[in-house]
Amino acid sequence: MSTEWSWPASDAGGVLGDGRFAVATDRPRTPEELAEAVRARAAEGLAIYPQGGCTALDYGGVPSRPGVAMSTLGLDRVVDYPHADMTITVEAGMTLAALSAVLAGQGQRLPLDPPEPERATIGGILATQASGPRRFGLGRPRDLIIGVTFASSRGELIKGGGRVVKNVAGYDFPKLLTGSMGTLGVIVQATLKVRPIPETAALVWTPLADAGAVASALERLNVSLTRPVALELLSEPAAREIAGSIDLPIDRYVLVAGFEDNPDSIAWQLEQIRLELDPNDRAEIQGQDCEPLWRALADFQASRIGPFSIQANLCPHSVPGFLDQLDPARMSARAHAGDGIVHAHAIGDWSFEETAAAVSRLQQLAAAEEGYLIVTRCPTDWKSRISVWGLPRADWPLARKVKATLDPLHALNPGRFVDSIETTAGMQTQSASL
Amino acid sequence: MRSNGSVAEHRVLIPARAVAELTAAVGEENVLSRAEEMLVYECDGYLVERSIPDLVVFPTSTAQAAEIVRICNRHGLPFVPRGAGTSLAGGTLSIGGGVMVCLTRMKRILEVSLRDRYAIVETGLVNVFLTRSLGGTGFHYAPDPSSQGACTIGGNVATNSGGPHTLKYGVTVNHVRGTTLVMPDGNVVKTGGKVLDPPGYDLTGLVVGNEGTFGIVTEAVVNLTRDPEAGRTFLAVFDSVDAATETVSGIIAAGIVPAALEMLDNLMIQAVEEAFRFGFPTEAGAVLIIEIDGLEAGLEREARAVAEIVSARGGEIRRSIAWRTRKEPEYVAIWKSRKSAFGAIGRLSPTYCTQDGVVPRTKLPQILRHIVDVGRRHNLRIANVFHAGDGNIHPILLFDERNADEVERVMKASHEILDECIALGGSVTGEHGIGVEKMEFMPKLFSPADLAAMLAIRDAFNPQGRCNPLKMIPGGAGCLEKTGPRRAAPA
Ligand SMILES: Cc1cc2nc3c(=O)[nH]c(=O)nc-3n(C[C@H](O)[C@H](O)[C@H](O)COP(=O)(O)OP(=O)(O)OC[C@H]3O[C@@H](n4cnc5c(N)ncnc54)[C@H](O)[C@@H]3O)c2cc1C
Repeated sequence: MSTEWSWPASDAGGVLGDGRFAVATDRPRTPEELAEAVRARAAEGLAIYPQGGCTALDYGGVPSRPGVAMSTLGLDRVVDYPHADMTITVEAGMTLAALSAVLAGQGQRLPLDPPEPERATIGGILATQASGPRRFGLGRPRDLIIGVTFASSRGELIKGGGRVVKNVAGYDFPKLLTGSMGTLGVIVQATLKVRPIPETAALVWTPLADAGAVASALERLNVSLTRPVALELLSEPAAREIAGSIDLPIDRYVLVAGFEDNPDSIAWQLEQIRLELDPNDRAEIQGQDCEPLWRALADFQASRIGPFSIQANLCPHSVPGFLDQLDPARMSARAHAGDGIVHAHAIGDWSFEETAAAVSRLQQLAAAEEGYLIVTRCPTDWKSRISVWGLPRADWPLARKVKATLDPLHALNPGRFVDSIETTAGMQTQSASL
Repeated sequence: MRSNGSVAEHRVLIPARAVAELTAAVGEENVLSRAEEMLVYECDGYLVERSIPDLVVFPTSTAQAAEIVRICNRHGLPFVPRGAGTSLAGGTLSIGGGVMVCLTRMKRILEVSLRDRYAIVETGLVNVFLTRSLGGTGFHYAPDPSSQGACTIGGNVATNSGGPHTLKYGVTVNHVRGTTLVMPDGNVVKTGGKVLDPPGYDLTGLVVGNEGTFGIVTEAVVNLTRDPEAGRTFLAVFDSVDAATETVSGIIAAGIVPAALEMLDNLMIQAVEEAFRFGFPTEAGAVLIIEIDGLEAGLEREARAVAEIVSARGGEIRRSIAWRTRKEPEYVAIWKSRKSAFGAIGRLSPTYCTQDGVVPRTKLPQILRHIVDVGRRHNLRIANVFHAGDGNIHPILLFDERNADEVERVMKASHEILDECIALGGSVTGEHGIGVEKMEFMPKLFSPADLAAMLAIRDAFNPQGRCNPLKMIPGGAGCLEKTGPRRAAPA
């Protein structure tokens, strides 16, 4: 590595997130070009910051070293779509919306509903393991990916998995790259399982007065005769935001059950759910009318209300109690209640001290039940003083080892994840292992 | 190529000190050391190669497993994790000897939460025991390999097992939330846990399917899945294999996601019928077991769609089992016949070699025609029973191991079939793993850069190569000489 680079003072070369600017933005048009660009830039001593639709640039720690933005947007082709096999191979820069349009031509879809599908790219969705309400019934990115090609920081194209739905040859790089946040390789291509578009859908919107009522409703739904594909729990401010201009009943909480299937099944499930949950007030939305609401449920995760946002991963049974810890005047929360995943946004003004205290308390709460709580967004200057990645975890030393193995130059997204956790949060990791 | 003799040449001699320490670690009752006691451990379900370990130890806790690994490290001994030994790829072969760490005495179910839909189990637990213990709760453990009556959850995790019902519900990796891993240096690491999707690298996803090369998995946190509310299981009968495979492609292309879609060809039907007398038509060219499940209210439509596709290809639905639980006798009978099919092969031939390849589902007609052709050219009988809905073929090549020429032809035929799977855009293993059997195919599937990255990952977990050496990824660090797998007649 030659020259010492310094941080550019302007965004002329592009942005990296967290107020940091790129030395330049590379826009390769093919996987080979991208791999070569990565190799060349790393050889110049620059860090590589992979970018897709730039929907999650502020996710994780702060970029720690000057570098280039490596845009995948030029890689936006469908490589292979054997629709009768229900798989598709696409380049990483294609947006979910563009992919959905291709799939819809064959009556199919990728059953993922992360926020902002017009901007979010397949590579970005995979790298952040982004999912949405339907994950409860239809799975996460890790359940749909069967093959991956990524560029290493040495500029090699490396693949894992394949193009068939079942395949155990070699280590599961598709899983490893999913959720790796651009720190192990730049995903350039992926093969995904697709599904038929269901014939119809319904959403059952049920306001509930308190956490006790929520807990008992969720317990019943856990063994319901129906098979919801989504179970969303909204706190009052989240419910208002998601309902938007649609006239829907709202209480302290709203529970939304989503169904997708053929019309006979949907009709039966609606009848059944009326018997199983029987509050006075309820709204049922069916068919095409569901679309805006599904969309709002998915997009909630990306809203930027107050200064910070958090994500908690908990056991499903503790979701109602956890949401009850959040003051509805100050936090707006939505949970994928069937999976135990909570997203919450601060409302209004929060000082750093208030935030740090709240985050720390909630992190303890999550950890007490073997859960996790991360800060998905906050002002950059707080990141050195808040544990954005949560409390220290026993698997981090192993994660760091994996990182050092695949990115020995530490060129990919430095600062974002394991390579910087200790320094960012100024804490000791457990060194029980390795 | 490793010759017959080379296995013996490379044998490590286990020092008496090590035996004493290992015995002290697990207790005398959990050690086997006499050759005749260890004979069953010289191979697994892959019968082509054999190598007896120097010692077999049965840990009864994670702490003991870790202690075993530390002792092996101190004495520089290779070790191989083993579950029930049903691997069909030689995954448990104790190459060059060493210590076999057998998990079958760690078989407790530690925790079950229906509300949070997980179970924590010790990995020596036999797959079906978990599902059985959940009977009546409305939940089950979804991955159901045909060998589920014998194989362990640990073996399933190590090989990322599939099964008939993983077509709709996903394979093992889709159902594992966390593992407790005794690393090859003796440290214990937990990946994941009962909470879904820990932020950061999916180490659990990486550990699943490692074929015992990352360490010993002693506990696993697995998903529990709701039982289907209702289902229909059809036995569809066809004159020809072609008509059956065309039907498979037709069902998938129509956007129907069956719970299971399995095929048996005529040779297999005869063997299974003779063994189980379920009522399979022995004159048929092929049968499909087609299962759909979901809500009773919605099933009728899907059933009609399936029936139309079957009859459009000249098939006939001979049996239709409508069920509300998977305990109904006719349902149990048809699946027992299917899942015991490999066992029934014994009636046709003294020895057989089960292959495991995958093709895109629309290419099933081509690959099955190819298999017929290969059988004809090499003058071999090949039976087929497989997970058709996934495109996961299992041609079973029948042979007599005393006939060296026939063994040779079986090997050639297997290679030709697997090469064709690759040519059709598929893979050489859908669920049985690479083991020792298929290492030579890895360079056909992966580039040198891909393999180097895989080796680097293995070295990160297993830097001395002491844990299950010379498996899965060709080359790399190892405490034994680097050799390719041999494909010779059993010694
Ligand atoms: C009749 C028959 C039918 C079969 N049907 C199917 C099927 O439908 N689907 C399918 O996927 N497979 C099938 N198999 C293959 C086999 O049963 C599976 O691979 C199974 O998962 C192996 O489990 P096991 O406990 O026998 O593991 P073993 O054979 O003992 O070991 C398999 C591999 O896993 C490793 N291993 C085992 N336990 C551990 C552990 N605790 N920690 C780390 N590594 C470990 C071993 O080192 C080895 O590499 C079948 C086999 C037979 C004989």
